[in-house]
Amino acid sequence: MKPGLRIDSLRVLGFGRFSNLTRELGPGLHLLYGPNEAGKSTLLAFLRSMLFGFEKRGQPERYEPAHGGAFGGELTLTTSAGSLLVRRIASRRTSEGELSVRGADGQELSKEWLEGALAHVSRELFFDVFAFRLDELAGFERLTEERGASEALVAASMRGARRLPEVMDQLRKSTELLYKPNGVKPSLNETLKALEDVQARLRLEGDRPARYFSEKARLGALVEEQRALEADLLEMNARLERLTRLEAALGDAGSLAQSRAELQTLPTLESFPVAGESRLDEGLDRRRNHRAEGARLALKLATATADLERLSAPSGVRGREESLGLALAAYTERAVLLRALPSRRAALAEKQRQVELALRELGLPVDGPGLLALDLSASVRVALEELASRLAAAEATHREAEGTRARAVSERERLDGALRRVDAELAALPQERTSQLRQQQAGLGRLRTVRADMERLSEQRAELHRQFESVRTPGEPQATVAALPLWWVPAVAVVAVALAVTAWLLAGNLVGALCLGVGLLLTGVLELARRRVEAARDADVAAQGARQRGRQQEEERLRSALMALSAREEVLHRELLAAAAEAGLNLVATAADMAAREAALADALERAGRRELLQREQEKLRAEHTAALREAHRANEAVGEAEARQGHLGAELAAHLSARCFPPTLAASAALTLWREAAALRQRLLDVSAEEVVLAVDAQACAQVMARLWAEAAAAELVPGPVKVHGLDAGAVEPIATRVASALEQERARALERRAVEERHQELLAEKARLDGLCHDEEAALAALLAEGGSPDEETFRRRAAQSRRYVELTGRTRELSHRIEARTGLSETSARQALIDVGGEQGLRAALESLRGKHAEAQERQKAVLTECGALRHQLEQWENDDALAKLRIIEESLRAKAAELARQYAADRLTLALLARARRRFEEEQQPRVVQLASEHFAALTQGRYPRVFIPTGEERELRVGDGQRDWSAAQLSRGTREQLYLAFRLAVVRDFGETRGALPLIVDDVLVNFDPERARGAIHLLAKLSEHQQVIAFTCHPWLRDAFAAEGARVQTLDATPQEPTPVPVPVLKAG
Amino acid sequence: MPFKYVHAADLHLDTPFRGVATQGPLLGRFQDATFRALTRITDLCLRERVAFLLLAGDLFDMKDRSVRARLALRRELGRLDAAGISTFIVHGNHDPLSGDTGALGLPASVKVFGPDWEEVEVKREGRRLCRVQGISYPDVEVRDDLSARFRRTGDGFTVGLLHANLGGVEGHANYAPCTAAGLGSRGLDYWALGHVHTRAEHALPGGGVAVYPGNPQGRHANETGPRGCMLVEVEDGGMRRRFVPVDGVRWHKLELPLSGTGTLDGLMTTALEVVESICAPELDGHAVRLTLTGRGPLHRELSRPGALAQWESDLREQLARGHPPVLLESLRDSSRPEVDLEAVCAAGGFARTLLDEVGYLAENPDALAQLWEEEALGTLCQRLKRLGVDALETPRAEWMVQAGLHGVESLHEEESS
Repeated sequence: MKPGLRIDSLRVLGFGRFSNLTRELGPGLHLLYGPNEAGKSTLLAFLRSMLFGFEKRGQPERYEPAHGGAFGGELTLTTSAGSLLVRRIASRRTSEGELSVRGADGQELSKEWLEGALAHVSRELFFDVFAFRLDELAGFERLTEERGASEALVAASMRGARRLPEVMDQLRKSTELLYKPNGVKPSLNETLKALEDVQARLRLEGDRPARYFSEKARLGALVEEQRALEADLLEMNARLERLTRLEAALGDAGSLAQSRAELQTLPTLESFPVAGESRLDEGLDRRRNHRAEGARLALKLATATADLERLSAPSGVRGREESLGLALAAYTERAVLLRALPSRRAALAEKQRQVELALRELGLPVDGPGLLALDLSASVRVALEELASRLAAAEATHREAEGTRARAVSERERLDGALRRVDAELAALPQERTSQLRQQQAGLGRLRTVRADMERLSEQRAELHRQFESVRTPGEPQATVAALPLWWVPAVAVVAVALAVTAWLLAGNLVGALCLGVGLLLTGVLELARRRVEAARDADVAAQGARQRGRQQEEERLRSALMALSAREEVLHRELLAAAAEAGLNLVATAADMAAREAALADALERAGRRELLQREQEKLRAEHTAALREAHRANEAVGEAEARQGHLGAELAAHLSARCFPPTLAASAALTLWREAAALRQRLLDVSAEEVVLAVDAQACAQVMARLWAEAAAAELVPGPVKVHGLDAGAVEPIATRVASALEQERARALERRAVEERHQELLAEKARLDGLCHDEEAALAALLAEGGSPDEETFRRRAAQSRRYVELTGRTRELSHRIEARTGLSETSARQALIDVGGEQGLRAALESLRGKHAEAQERQKAVLTECGALRHQLEQWENDDALAKLRIIEESLRAKAAELARQYAADRLTLALLARARRRFEEEQQPRVVQLASEHFAALTQGRYPRVFIPTGEERELRVGDGQRDWSAAQLSRGTREQLYLAFRLAVVRDFGETRGALPLIVDDVLVNFDPERARGAIHLLAKLSEHQQVIAFTCHPWLRDAFAAEGARVQTLDATPQEPTPVPVPVLKAG
Repeated sequence: MPFKYVHAADLHLDTPFRGVATQGPLLGRFQDATFRALTRITDLCLRERVAFLLLAGDLFDMKDRSVRARLALRRELGRLDAAGISTFIVHGNHDPLSGDTGALGLPASVKVFGPDWEEVEVKREGRRLCRVQGISYPDVEVRDDLSARFRRTGDGFTVGLLHANLGGVEGHANYAPCTAAGLGSRGLDYWALGHVHTRAEHALPGGGVAVYPGNPQGRHANETGPRGCMLVEVEDGGMRRRFVPVDGVRWHKLELPLSGTGTLDGLMTTALEVVESICAPELDGHAVRLTLTGRGPLHRELSRPGALAQWESDLREQLARGHPPVLLESLRDSSRPEVDLEAVCAAGGFARTLLDEVGYLAENPDALAQLWEEEALGTLCQRLKRLGVDALETPRAEWMVQAGLHGVESLHEEESS
């Protein structure tokens, strides 16, 4: 064995239900015994966590203390490198917790020391093989079923290969996804298929450059042909055009010849005036119009002269228009004022009367001038207003003080009534304390709970008694198989010999010998039967003994349970006494008594509460009553003060009023009103006086205006004569003004008419002179026109004009025809005529044209075909030059090749890795497995008392763990559950021992893994563990007393775990009990 | 008389680029890249007033069947012809004489060497500048050492123009194989070679030099870095060579270590910075193959379903928006989980057995070949070869090592998940 690790002691600071728990361990075999929930599994998890870290947060096996506090603990270890103190405390940073490792002298060491001491065993391997529970034993069974024992063996035995089955599985899947020799879907198969497709498409494209260059050459030939065709067509076009033009000019040539012949018959009229006849007619018309216009003008001139004479008659107003206008304007300006004067005078008189009436109504002892003399200035009004406001304030204060006093009196009376009511109610309630009543209620509740507990306890006790009695019932009677006595055999032999001797004497030797033989044979049969009966009886006795031992163990367990119940009953009885005393009842009180007592307590509690409430209310009301009394006294004082102030202000006001002739008894507000009315009346008096002055001024101005108007009218002879100014009134002057205005208007209209007539006369004279000039010019022009046309009179002129029109027409037509022939043929008229003659006249021309057109159409068709072919070829070539489809295909091909190469390499790498892992596994099994399997065989044979002497792994790909009993082989699945678990335990013990021999001896920790073993095999297993503990530490947990005894028999140090819940308080170190 | 010439090879005009999508804005830039490279070579010839241009085979690829390639060649050589610059061409394995090269219709100043050795004198103003010798491939596969037919015929500068594999360079078909000693023994001054796409110069015994200018435009992620042609100046028997890059689109292979980066956003920023730092702004575009390497906590985050694909998609989009645009050819995840291999080996157990098995297979080619056949990888290789895919040709020991590493890491990854 290589030195490894041993746990000397453990200290739980806080883990699951444990806190501050200490256990001493040490070398050899240890058993931690305790009932269910004593914390055995918790301790197993604690040891695992200390060595390999806490489980992740949220995992049930993390065992974080429910009540908080410290989480973690310490282990004292003995290792090959000396003593180590391993401490692990939970931390926020990592779920595994903070690990600290210290040496024997307390110095801090790295965590590698712990890993080294654990021989670098992996967490999983340690949990699977070194520290496991019953359900984890079954977990190994599952692994065996799924993967085959061979891989599991490798996985369980060696570091780094725990996941070998999964890795190989993943690699298998990965290679299958990459490539299958006959597959379609895997990536490489797909890529190769795509590559084949692309290469097929590339083959379809053919040798493109070769085709390109041959097509290019063909294009060159076509271009040459196209050029030749183009030249031919050009030449043909020229000929065709010439002949077509000649054909088009055939009609025009005929017309030209006719025109020329007619032109020869006419005289020379080239100098005849252009449009002579129309010009002559126009001149004659104009002359006629001018003459008619002259006659109309003479009539208009006579009318204008008569009007002028009528308007030049004499008038009185003429020459005085300005002065008359000024006088009339001044009158018009004052007319409104003049008309309003009488009404204004009447209104002023009415106002004066009303003011005097108002003064009398005011009742002051003064007349108008007296009122004006009174001092009613603003300062006096302000003083009066101030006095009035102060007086009003004094009155308001007085009223407020009265109100306050009335409220205080009523509040005091209300509080008197409330106090009387509370006193009366308090007197009616009894005096009881709430706390006493509550204590009695609690006592009653506890009494009830304890009674229920006692009832449950007595039921449990009765049940246990029944079990105990049934266990104590005397067992089965002793085996009743009667044995055959031993003396029967010699007796039968003697009888047989006697009979044989008798037969010999009677019948001779032969019969005697025969009888002797038969007798001895019967004796032998008898002895055989006796031995069989003996053996059966012994077996029965042994079985009965075993059952008897089982019953005794069960009896022991029940007796201890009964004792525990008795102790609990005693405690409950004491609690019952205390509770009854507290509730004020005796122990024999019935449930009805308790219910009545409970109702009475509730009622009393309610009354006591009401009384306390009323007392608090009474105190509050008394305080309020005292405050109300103080308030009434303060209100009385305030009323007195307000009255004194009011009297003082009244005297001051009376003095003020008498100084201004106002009645001294007036109230302040009435005096103020009177003052305002007097002041308003005084203002009105002042306004009436001012208005009177303005009226007098206006009357004076109006009189002057009227006098001036009258004087002007008289001068213009519109009125009979002058008049005095003061004798005029508005009614008399009004018609004069109207008359003056009308005369002025008439004079203005006449002057305007005269001016218009004079202007018209002048215009008529000028028009007449212009018409005379025009008539003269027209006469001269007519004479010149006749002279130009070479005609003495109008008639001759008109005849020559007709001849001249025909001459011009014919000359133009010949010129036009000549130009058209030239334009159509491109030749001069003479050349065209000659060409026509050359081509054979009209008939010859048409025949030549038809033949040429046919040839031209043929050439055009050919050219079109060549051009189309050239275009198609150019397009194809251009496409080949620029088309990147081929390039893209090549890119795809190259990319697919690269991808295929990459996938193939990846596939090869995975296949090789897979093959390598398989080879390594086989090699490892060949080299490493026999030792483990051999150990497993030894252990399994010991466990099954030699029933199965052999554990082995048959060769082949899907290998499994099998066992042999000497006659046939069994797979693990074919074994019973107990035997199967024994096989797995044997296998684990083999791995543990092999590990200990090759790498380091680590402690083995098992949690109740023997429960499915029969007692014999369980003892065998414990014996194996004890043997193992000679070299390495073994720690076992159990809750079964019979297993505890078996462990104790093998020399295990047994420690008992207490099932009572742990409190987070320090507990004394438990007593160690040697096994 | 001093003179200059330009030596280019492996134009591969209009050849497809690997890893470029057939849809999208970058396709045009990539498709035009080989043409632009040729135009830049022509521009260089005109600018430097060179005496002639040497094109050492694989001007285009017969497989591509590209009309545009032929037309572009004719157009560009026409420009040189107009300027009085001669061109010498030999054809290689991708454009042998048995193809359609006769129909090119090249200008008169272009000399295309035939399947037999020929020599041409280059003259200026009646005086000989140099001699140019060359042989074209009659067919695709030429397994003879064509360089053996070359020979010095007189004094003066002599150039040998040949498409050949000097020294059996891996990754290229071993056509017209030759050796430095063989070339040196021919006594030429300058061997203008083509076929190997990576630029290289070999000093030959006897004073000559053999030059591979590389292809003028990289076509996939294995043809990274600047690509161009060689400008040679000859004066008084001496020679000055200058490499001139003419590529428009440049390929890069970048490794991005996961260590030191905590988040995917941080990794994105680092990736963008790394790409930006190597992408020259004056080019038309760049193509990048990015490989995530190293061990770090991000490995697990990227291993989640869809995470790597999403990250790749984001990165691709951001790179394509750049100026000049950058094509993300592929993103490869070669990152590894945080496994301490030494500790795993030291711990023994299954991992040790696994690695022992790897060692055994790596050292026994027969066992490896047997495994190869057992896994039917040879059959797959045959099928791939029929489709022109070069992969899984021979079982290699390093694949077993990688498989072993993969196995150990998978077991570890699974264990810690």
